[in-house]
Amino acid sequence: MAVRETKKEKISILLEDLASLESYARDLFGFFPNPVLLVSSSGIILEANPAFEKITGHKTEEIVGRPIEDFFEKEKMATLVEKSLSKGHIGGEEINLFDKNKNALPVSVSTMLRKNESGEVVGFFLGLFDLTNSKKAEENLRNAQAALTNILEDAEEARARAEEEKNKTRAIILNFTDGILVFNEKNRLALINPSAERLLNIKAKNIMNGSISELNNFSGLEPLTKALGTKFEEIFRKEISIKNDLILELSTVPVMVNKDKRLGTLVILHDVSRDKIIERMKSEFVSLAAHQLRTPLSAIKWTMKMLMEGDLGPISKEQREFIEKTYHSNERMIGLINDLLDLTRIEEGRYLYKPALSNFELMVEYVVNSYKEEAAKKKIKLEFKKTEGKLPSVRLDAEKIKLAIQNLIDNAVKYTPSGGLVTISLNYDKDKVELSVQDNGVGIPEDQQKRVFSKFFRGANVMRLDTEGSGLGLFITKNIIEAHGGKIWFESAKDRGSTFHFTLPVKTEFESFLKEF
Amino acid sequence: MRENDPSSKNKVGEIKEDEVKKIMKVKIETRGVVLKTDGEYILEKEGEKGLKQLEAELKRLGHPIKYREIETMAFYPAGLRALSLLAIKKTFNFDDEKIQEMGVVATKKSLIIKLFIRYFLSVQKVFFEEAPRIWQKHWTKGILTPLKLNEEKKYAILKLENFDLHPLYCSVYLPGYFSGILQMLIKTNKITAQETKCSFRGDEYHEYLLKWL
Repeated sequence: MAVRETKKEKISILLEDLASLESYARDLFGFFPNPVLLVSSSGIILEANPAFEKITGHKTEEIVGRPIEDFFEKEKMATLVEKSLSKGHIGGEEINLFDKNKNALPVSVSTMLRKNESGEVVGFFLGLFDLTNSKKAEENLRNAQAALTNILEDAEEARARAEEEKNKTRAIILNFTDGILVFNEKNRLALINPSAERLLNIKAKNIMNGSISELNNFSGLEPLTKALGTKFEEIFRKEISIKNDLILELSTVPVMVNKDKRLGTLVILHDVSRDKIIERMKSEFVSLAAHQLRTPLSAIKWTMKMLMEGDLGPISKEQREFIEKTYHSNERMIGLINDLLDLTRIEEGRYLYKPALSNFELMVEYVVNSYKEEAAKKKIKLEFKKTEGKLPSVRLDAEKIKLAIQNLIDNAVKYTPSGGLVTISLNYDKDKVELSVQDNGVGIPEDQQKRVFSKFFRGANVMRLDTEGSGLGLFITKNIIEAHGGKIWFESAKDRGSTFHFTLPVKTEFESFLKEF
Repeated sequence: MRENDPSSKNKVGEIKEDEVKKIMKVKIETRGVVLKTDGEYILEKEGEKGLKQLEAELKRLGHPIKYREIETMAFYPAGLRALSLLAIKKTFNFDDEKIQEMGVVATKKSLIIKLFIRYFLSVQKVFFEEAPRIWQKHWTKGILTPLKLNEEKKYAILKLENFDLHPLYCSVYLPGYFSGILQMLIKTNKITAQETKCSFRGDEYHEYLLKWL
């Protein structure tokens, strides 16, 4: 009896141990984070751990009893099963596992044979390692690598393009007929092209990286360095004379990046010596021709005058009319010759004005009065609006300013039809006096307004009117006003009239007045 | 119609006290694993609430079972196994197909089957060597004998003698259980198992025909 009790106790202990072992095995199997299967030698799944259930979304009863190939790429898994059974194990083979929704999940497979106590193969354990994240990371890495490669390729391409552009630009600069100098952001010479070397008679190697003050030490460069100054302010087509018969037009352009970062300054030297010579020759010819023409025209004028005044004997009414017409035509020719002479003087830089403090209002009134008769003949009302207060005295060259006022009023009267109105107004403030000549005449077409102050400009509409004019009046006027430090501008609308304005500065400071002399 | 006639399987009525007494008088014992797999199945399908309902029904019948406290390898009265099935059928209105499915699922979770897996070398071996042993591991009574195995024609016949528990078990649950084991041996999608002879129908023993495609 005691023996039986002992056996029962032993059995009870064994059962307890078995239950503990089962619990341990179950916990261990359940804890294991990687999917594990037990597969029979015929390829049927006999056991699956919770990790496999989780990764596939299937329940145990949907897994156990099913062929292993149902969950993987069939052919590949069949090969792996065969390999496992023949080799005893495999490790790290990649294959796609399919979950319940048929999504392919990349996994790494390892297997190990399971044998019974007789050494017979009863199947194999199959462990999986989910490669989804590592594949994603790998793919991300590959994408990043590809992106990086693309960036590098783009950068290399951009670099090559930039290099090519640089070479092109360099070639253009080096072969440019104009002289080009490039100063860097520290205002040191970074590049000089062969044309500039030739024009300045200097070798690049001697002056490269030189500052303005250092360049100033080289003979022949002084006019350039003086014009550039140390601040490299913008210059547009400024003439500098390097030596006799070598006149350069100097322009500077700041080299900017993003509008606010200055990389340096580009200096362009354009040889205008030949143009200047031709211009001078032309001016000399015009001047010579004008002078040569003026003498006989003056003789004709006085002869006509003597005839008209009867100094050479009585003339009939009919003869007088012919002589008067000839006299006026001769006068127009003299006027044209005078305009041409003024033009040549302006172009030769000899049109210097002789300033003196003058009463501007009286001067304007004088010119207005001289046009009253002509205006009346054309039935044009000529109005002169003075200022309420007294205009300040202005320093001016009376002869030239009269000519400027005359040109503006002459145009207004000439291009205003009968019955029109020409208004001359004065205005002033503490800095300047202003004259405006307003008419309600033919106006200037909009597309031609930019050329109004050019030499020989005549509006297409006024040419059709068969009016007289050299096209030099406004060019001369502009030069006169600007020579006085003033400004000239206009507003105009075709068939509605024009208003021309100019201002002349009023110098109040005694010192600045003295500087002019 | 006899009291335990399998044709009563479609009826879900109150389990009578007499029937409970009769079932509990059966002098057979079974391993706790068969009860454990019932509890796990209900927990999964009906949740915690379902498991409590089931335990309440068994308590009402006078034979309470705490499924979580069942020891897998310990022996329990076989009557409890039959009562567990009857209570499940009644509580959740399970049809025979569902009870049979319980048998299939039980094989896939049973610890005893897991212990036998190492001997699942071939259908032949499992049928002629392991099946009787598997039965003995579960029950203190009854002899399971393989009568025929024809792998070519894809069928097998099993004989179960000296085992009278309840028709719900032998005619419905057990065919499912045999199917489950067969699934682990043969690669096929279609397995059928049916009881062709039954001691509750006047036969001398139970006979099962297993077929697969």
